[in-house]
Amino acid sequence: MLDVAIVGYAQSPSWRNAELTEPQFLFPVISEAIERAGIERRDIGFTCAGSCDYLSGQTFAFVSNLEAVGAWPPISESHVEMDGAWALYEAWVRLQHGDIDLALAFGSGKSSPGRLDEVFSLQLDPYTLTPLGADPVSLAALQARAMLDKGTITERDMAEIAARSRQSAADNPHAQIRSSPDADALLQEPYLTAPLRRHDLPPVSDGACAVVLATADRARATCERPAWIRGIDHRVEPHQPGMRDLTESISTRQAAKHAGVDDAPVDVAELCATFTHQERLLREAMGLDDTVRVNPSGGPLAANPVMAVGLARIAEAARAISEGGAGRAVAHATSGQCLQQNLVCVLEGA
Amino acid sequence: MSAADTAPAEDGPVTMMDYFMQLEYHELLCPVVRRYASQLLEGRLVGHKCPSCGLVYVPPRGYCPICVVETTDADEIVLADKGTVTNYTVVTPVQYYGQEETEPFVRASILLDGEGGMMNLQDIVDVPVDDVHVGMRVEAVWKPPGERNVDEISNRSWGSAEGCIDGWRPTGDPDVPAEQLRDKAF
Amino acid sequence: MECVLLRPVPEPPRTTHTIEFPYTRTLGPVIGPFLTGLRDQRILGARTPNGGVLVPPLEWDPATGEAIEPDLVEVGPGGTVETWAWVTQPSRKHPLDHPFAFALIRLDGASTGLLHAVDAGSMDQMRTGMRVTARWKDERIGHMTDVVFVPEAAA
Ligand SMILES: [Zn+2]
Repeated sequence: MLDVAIVGYAQSPSWRNAELTEPQFLFPVISEAIERAGIERRDIGFTCAGSCDYLSGQTFAFVSNLEAVGAWPPISESHVEMDGAWALYEAWVRLQHGDIDLALAFGSGKSSPGRLDEVFSLQLDPYTLTPLGADPVSLAALQARAMLDKGTITERDMAEIAARSRQSAADNPHAQIRSSPDADALLQEPYLTAPLRRHDLPPVSDGACAVVLATADRARATCERPAWIRGIDHRVEPHQPGMRDLTESISTRQAAKHAGVDDAPVDVAELCATFTHQERLLREAMGLDDTVRVNPSGGPLAANPVMAVGLARIAEAARAISEGGAGRAVAHATSGQCLQQNLVCVLEGA
Repeated sequence: MSAADTAPAEDGPVTMMDYFMQLEYHELLCPVVRRYASQLLEGRLVGHKCPSCGLVYVPPRGYCPICVVETTDADEIVLADKGTVTNYTVVTPVQYYGQEETEPFVRASILLDGEGGMMNLQDIVDVPVDDVHVGMRVEAVWKPPGERNVDEISNRSWGSAEGCIDGWRPTGDPDVPAEQLRDKAF
Repeated sequence: MECVLLRPVPEPPRTTHTIEFPYTRTLGPVIGPFLTGLRDQRILGARTPNGGVLVPPLEWDPATGEAIEPDLVEVGPGGTVETWAWVTQPSRKHPLDHPFAFALIRLDGASTGLLHAVDAGSMDQMRTGMRVTARWKDERIGHMTDVVFVPEAAA
């Protein structure tokens, strides 16, 4: 494997209802990532984007997004209908060919125009799940109940995760929710979809994230402290929610093992725990103990720009290394309902 | 109610399943398109002229994707409402779900006079579809001020002036030679 | 991106659009019989090589990825709630228009949980481990919503 590092990253703010179009708010994000990487746009050998046209209901929105890249004269590019974290994975694979030394990955989404419950219902089995209107919140609630019944979490634990995450976001300029009442106050609120209360859910967010990757020589030349990708892997579980153990994340466990999470201690973990209880699941699946700082950015509970939120975890983990002095960080991204598919990326400063 | 009480709706195996997918979206108009829409209501077509390459975007996008530079109100110019057909197609509607047209219709690209700017997917009116041709000179048919609306203008209108301009009609001026319209097809 | 609005904004400054796709799907050798079964008030599962019974039936074994011969067996109509969520505000896409539970239901004879709705009246009627049973619609067309589940005590 060739050594590849993250040498530049940028995020937009997270908006509840962005006035700008997706290419418009992507535009400065991509420019900033390139500028921070200290490279020329034309030197990028491969570009990969992650987005979902159904989010804002516009056909070929992913093509319009390329307007923010500078795609003329034509560039080498690709797209995944997934979170930008998987675009980064593809860019990392592309760099392994060794013929180019710079790649750009980005993710973006406008969740505000549509109804996420209805949009996400359409990604499910069209014969047995979509016809029931099965939605992400209800499915997450089934998972939370299974964990509560098993005794691996309590409603108070969940409220504490919510409060801690949002309070951690106080200094994160990209976050949407930057404060929270304490767990006692949160537990006074009524259930939304029991056993979930509103605080157990992420906000609805519009936003974007971009990351520049470089191979070893280029990374050392352009970046003072690159965040080296030491392992990256993704795994998927069966689709039907009743055909896997919702109280464990086996795919995360496998991805973490293959990415080498437990090869050395971890300082910071940025986890795509979209619902409070999933943070507990992910910590256990990756074997992260209490010494690990989890989601210092606030994580998805503070800002959830769908299709960018996973890549933003990788960008935050890279930032912890390049700017925050962390030695080793883990980033996680997820796709599908109830953590069906999971990507784990291990970053190191040296 | 027991099984015996209720006969199945139909006999024979179920082999097909209908699913009617419907999603509704509400999006804020972005500032540059809001500005474009409010100018349309006043009977003006505006665009952004890229300060770097000079290309004119209508409606304005807020950036030039070729040069990768942002454009602002400072780059706004008022465009001509006359121009030349540079490309067109005649659509013969197939009555698929959602198709409201029943007769063949034209969708044309129009290069505006003066500073330029391409209006795409435009309707050509007051002329049989068979007479539309590249090089044809046309002018906008504005709705009277009181009847204009921008209900159909969206962030991805792609040059639409629907609700304010009913289409483009021939001016009767001599054609522009097609050779002069190369690279202006879309 | 700096954009100054010089003139009055058309109100409301938002667009509405609807996309619609009328899909018709073929069902194949496993889901076809499963939905035919629902029309005929029978719930079918697929037997796996290791002796499990998948409900809904699949064409492959999720544990191994191997193709499964469509050996369909009847399960239910009763079953046990493995986990549940109480939906206080049903959406227009949900199978019931009043509060209900989504649940994973382990039907009698099945080895997996089926996602479906339980029409329990109120949240305090729901318990993990409770018994539920199928309640069939009068008019059935071979569709997941031909059935909902109700507490066995209420059936
Ligand atoms: Zn330009």
